Parts: sequence; C-alpha cells; structure tokens
Amino acid sequence: MFSMFRNLVGSKTLTKEDMQSVLEKMKDHIIAKNVAADIAQKLCDSVATKLEGKVLGTFSSVTSTVKNTLNESCVQILSPRRRVDILRDAMEAKQHNRPYNIVFCGVNGVGKSTNLAKICFWLVENGFRVLIAACDTFRAGAVEQLRTHTRKLNVLHPAEKHNGQQMVQLYEKGYGKDAAGIAMEAIRYAQDTHIDIVLIDTAGRMQDNEPLMKALAKLINVNNPDLVLFVGEALVGNEAVDQLTKFNQALADNSNMTNPRLIDGIILTKFDTIDDKVGAAISMTYTTGQPIVFVGTGQTYTDLRNLNAKAVVHALLRA
Amino acid sequence: MVLADLGRKITSALKLLSNATIINEEVLNEMLKEICTALIQADVNIKLVKQLRENVRSVIDFDEMAGGLNKRRMIQSAVFKELVKLIDPGVKAWQPTKGKSNVIMFVGLQGSGKTTTCSKLAFYYQKKGWKTCLICADTFRAGAFDQLKQNATKARIPFYGSYTEIDPVIIAREGVEKFRLENFEIIIVDTSGRHKQEDSLFEEMLEVSNAVDPDNIVFVMDASIGQACEAQARAFKEKVDVASVIITKLDSHAKGGGALSAVAATKSPVIFIGTGEHIDDFESFKVQPFVSKLLGMGDIEGLIDK
Ligand SMILES: Nc1nc2c(ncn2[C@@H]2O[C@H](COP(=O)(O)OP(=O)(O)OP(=O)(O)O)[C@@H](O)[C@H]2O)c(=O)[nH]1
Ligand SMILES: Nc1nc2c(ncn2[C@@H]2O[C@H](COP(=O)(O)OP(=O)(O)OP(=O)(O)O)[C@@H](O)[C@H]2O)c(=O)[nH]1
Ligand SMILES: [Mg+2]
Ligand SMILES: [Mg+2]
Repeated sequence: MFSMFRNLVGSKTLTKEDMQSVLEKMKDHIIAKNVAADIAQKLCDSVATKLEGKVLGTFSSVTSTVKNTLNESCVQILSPRRRVDILRDAMEAKQHNRPYNIVFCGVNGVGKSTNLAKICFWLVENGFRVLIAACDTFRAGAVEQLRTHTRKLNVLHPAEKHNGQQMVQLYEKGYGKDAAGIAMEAIRYAQDTHIDIVLIDTAGRMQDNEPLMKALAKLINVNNPDLVLFVGEALVGNEAVDQLTKFNQALADNSNMTNPRLIDGIILTKFDTIDDKVGAAISMTYTTGQPIVFVGTGQTYTDLRNLNAKAVVHALLRA
Repeated sequence: MVLADLGRKITSALKLLSNATIINEEVLNEMLKEICTALIQADVNIKLVKQLRENVRSVIDFDEMAGGLNKRRMIQSAVFKELVKLIDPGVKAWQPTKGKSNVIMFVGLQGSGKTTTCSKLAFYYQKKGWKTCLICADTFRAGAFDQLKQNATKARIPFYGSYTEIDPVIIAREGVEKFRLENFEIIIVDTSGRHKQEDSLFEEMLEVSNAVDPDNIVFVMDASIGQACEAQARAFKEKVDVASVIITKLDSHAKGGGALSAVAATKSPVIFIGTGEHIDDFESFKVQPFVSKLLGMGDIEGLIDK
C-alpha cells in the first residue's frame, strides 16, 4: 500500500538494479524506433553509468530520471561538435579563385544523385554556379539521370535571370571510364571556366565490395575534395553502423596521406518515409561523430532540411 | 540470408538446452534471450521477435511437465516452428503459365532495386525460353526510362516506354496491350518508387494496377531495411494485391531480417533474391527447401516433430 509513495519519501541513491527494468524497456523502445541494437545497448549502458550513485530528487521517479538522461544523451549525439558551413566555405574558395568540391558517396539506391541535385538547386538559389560531375559510370541511366536534373535546374534558373550565365553544367564522359579521372578533369574544367562548385556523383557500392571501395578511396585521394558526404537512408537498420564504419575504414586503409580523408558529414535521406522510426539518425551520428548536414524529406528539389535534433529525439522517445 | 546466418547462433543457443542438466525457466529465458538478440541484430521486426518469444514460452508449462527430454524437444520444436513462420507465409508461390500473357507488376519503396530486378527477372525467364518483355511505367524518376532501356538493350529484351508521355497509367496500359497482342508470355511492368506517406503515389499505383490487371504483383525490398519495413509493406498490400516478395542487395553485409517482415505483412513468399548489380546476380528462392536446409543443419537435425 505504501509502496506507491516510495518515490516521495526521502532521497534515494540510484543503483544499476533500480534502473535495469526501465533501461531494458527503453532499449526495446528505441530499437523499435530503428536505432541499431548495439548502439541502443551502448546508449543505455552510458545512461546507467551516468546515473549510478546519483541521488534521486524528492519528486523524481527512476523512470523519468532515466528518460531525461537518455533524452540529453541523444540530443548531444545529434548535436554536431563541428558545423559544416558549405555556403561560407564555398564563398571562401571562390575568393581564392578555386572551385569548392563535394563528393557524394554511399551504398546503392540511397539517394546520392537525387540529393546531389537538391543541393545543387540550393546552391544555385544562393547564387553559385555549379558543375555536376557524372562519376557514376556504371549504373544504367546514371548519366541521363543527371542530364535530366541539369536540364530541369537550368529551366528553373535560366541564364537570362543570371546575367546570361548558365548556372548548372554537366561534366560527363559516358559509361565505363575511370571515375577518379573524370572527377579530376571536371575540377580542372571548373577551375578553368570559373565555376564555383563541383558536385561529384559516384556509383553506389556495398561496403564489403573491396574493388569498388578501393576505387572510391582513389577518387577521394587523388582529388582531395573540400567535403566528403556520406549519403545514408533513414530506412536502414542495423546495417547503418557497418556501412559507415567500413566506408571510413576503406578510406583510411587506402590512403597515402598522413591524415587520410574520411567522411566529413552525412546526408540522411528518405526521412519522409519512416514516420517516427527516426533511429537511423542516432546510429549514423553515434558511429561517426560526424554531423548530419542535410536531411532529405522527399523527391523534389525543395525537399532538403537541416536536422532538428530536439524534434528527432522527441519522436524517438515518444511512446 | 537472415535465417541461414542465424543458424549458427541458434544452434549455439539451443546447445544451452542440451548442456543444461535441468531445463528450467532460467535456461529457457537465457536461450530465448540469445535467439532474440540475434534476430534483432539482423533487423527482424521487434514485434515479431517479441511474439516469437511469447509463443515459445507459452508452449512450456514448467509446473505441469516432467521429464527433461520432453521439455527439450518441445522447446526446440517450438523455436523452429516460430522461425519457419518468419519466412514461410504458408502460401504457394505464383507461377506463370506457358502460352499465355503473364503480367508481372513491380512495386516498392524508392531505390529498393525495382528497375534492376525487373531486368533480372526478364533475363531469367528469357533464358528459360519464355517470350519476355519489359515496360517502363516510371515517368517520375529522372533517367528511369534510359535505365530500363539500357538494361533491356544489353540483354536483348524487347521493351516499351516513352520520353514524352507523363502518365504512367497510359504507358502501362498501352505497353501491356501491345505486348499481349504480340503474344508475349512474360510482361514485366516497372513502376516508380513510392511510400505510404504520399497518398497520390499510392493512388497512382492502384491505377496502374487496375489498368494492366497484373497476374502477379512483386514487392521489392532492400535487405538493409530496418524497423520501418513492416508498416510500409502492410500499406502496399492494403492498396494493391501484392503476391510475391523479392529481397535485393543480399550481397551486402545485411542479413535481410527487416525485409523478412514483408513476408508476414504481405502474406507473400520470397520468390527471388538479388545478390549484386549485374543482371545474373539473381537466385530463385524456394521457401520449403530453404526451411528444410535450415532444419537439417548440424545439431538441429531431427528436432522437429515428425
Ligand atoms: N521519399 C524520398 N525519396 C527519395 C529521397 N531522396 C531520394 N529519393 C528517391 O530514391 C530513389 C533513388 O535515388 P537516387 O538518387 O537515384 O539514389 P542513388 O543513391 O544515386 O542510387 P545509385 O546511384 O543507383 O546507387 C529515387 O527514386 C529518388 O527519388 C528522399 O529524401 N525521400
Ligand atoms: N549490390 C546490389 N545492388 C543492387 C541490387 N539490386 C539493385 N541494386 C542497385 O541498387 C540501386 C537502385 O536500384 P534501382 O533498380 O534503380 O532501384 P529502383 O527501386 O528502381 O529505384 P526507383 O525507381 O528510384 O524507386 C542501383 O544502384 C542498383 O544497381 C543487388 O541485388 N545488389
Ligand atoms: Mg546515383
Ligand atoms: Mg526504378
């Protein structure tokens, strides 16, 4: 009978045992929201470590204390230590008379090319001229896909509205050619013709496919882009961890630089298809420590957002 | 694939039973915990995992039962029944009929591998001597028709599509009519990627389905999908008559456990799996032999009720 008042009388020092059942429930809850199982476990362990030995306030329950702490941890994971400011950096590159180069990479079908096109639209809206480098020389239709986007983007931003300058161009050499070489030529072309930004599309590849991973590392090594963006879809489950770990690993292993270029940021796509199962955002940022630079929220050019960490965590912890 | 890779973990979990001198609640829970962890790490839908756990538990009443051997047997066979349920919807896979036009429509989420898999399936049937063709009813994605056209041309498969028509329903209807008249036996219709949150896309899928009256609707699912699969798969099934599942990208590290929830949600069997980007990276999948193989593995042999 009096047990229901337990939390109200006196103070209590939290032990792991007190928290265990709550944490177990929390873990299942965030796994159901699509956080990778291992990361859900680690998160809950870290909450337990943080709270162990803490004195519980008079009016707080174990459940709400655990939940608040988990909330804080998640917001922290999603809040970048470092901001990627593409507009600022691209402007700076422009002032130094060189193009700002971004590589898009990731596994098959996650939305690399589409979100490249969306980012292109955003850059053009901000007054930059863009060269799209068609370095997926493998997948059927990949070049035509980018050609279509280039045409559509130029219709939206015709040269007449920009002092006669064509805002978006495509650099392509068809299929079957070496991607790293095309990227290099594209960057040189942009330099020579004073184009501000080069967006480099790459073929999708599985993280275990060694030859393809080596080829990506080569592309990044020889071109040393300003930004390497990993594109991952919000639909992905436990595989998110393996994808990011192995992309980074392959870039590190195949680099000849003392400080190898790794993934600088993440584009989280298809965020409109997952309702409140937002866990992949946590899995990806936890794995890399890198920020989610953009969130893809649909299939049109304006479906690009910044991550709202608080809203994501709210959706994650909501019943 | 998920159950194949899980085989080892499940065998080792089941060893807990054989090694234990007494089978009690604790041993059962430990075993179930191992199995469930493995399933969750393979992305199997968490609701299905919980159900599996409950169903296995409910088989055993420790107070009433005596005899260790009997308990072991009951637990093991309950585990298998539940695992089999994950992959076997208990429905026979659709088969095309020789000498008539079989229309197969592909549906699925964006980027799941529909267009690639359409060509793979067409290639598969063509090699077996069926008169086969492809139709591109995706007018939305940039480069979609070029993609299908390039795949089809390379494999010498007749195809139909348009650069100017913007209504996928019209293309699908015209294409199917044309190929029916020409007595094609396997007519495969590729459609745009879509998701349940966008009604207009789902409505379009229904219209295409009504226009071509497919004999089989294939739901294509990416092996790397996590917990969002179930709701999407169910929504597709509610809108159109999905009858088969194809799981793609199983050449990745992914176990495909998330995609399996599409089997339960659509009550449809997996008929093929995709194992690479090339047109012949494609394997037919038969539920029954797969299950027998799973059950025949090593220590597991002879555990199921005869
Ligand atoms: N709903 C939704 N669909 C998206 C989003 N981003 C991309 N897509 C769709 O996902 C599908 C695949 O997109 P692509 O850009 O071709 O993907 P990719 O990563 O370049 O694919 P590959 O080059 O073949 O590896 C297309 O149908 C896109 O329209 C998004 O944010 N939301
Ligand atoms: N590694 C691997 N890649 C695959 C497999 N199946 C498809 N892909 C790749 O996945 C990406 C997307 O495939 P598509 O066939 O364009 O997917 P889709 O479902 O038609 O995409 P949308 O039409 O945009 O919805 C491409 O890069 C394909 O090459 C597979 O089994 N293994
Ligand atoms: Mg692409
Ligand atoms: Mg397609």
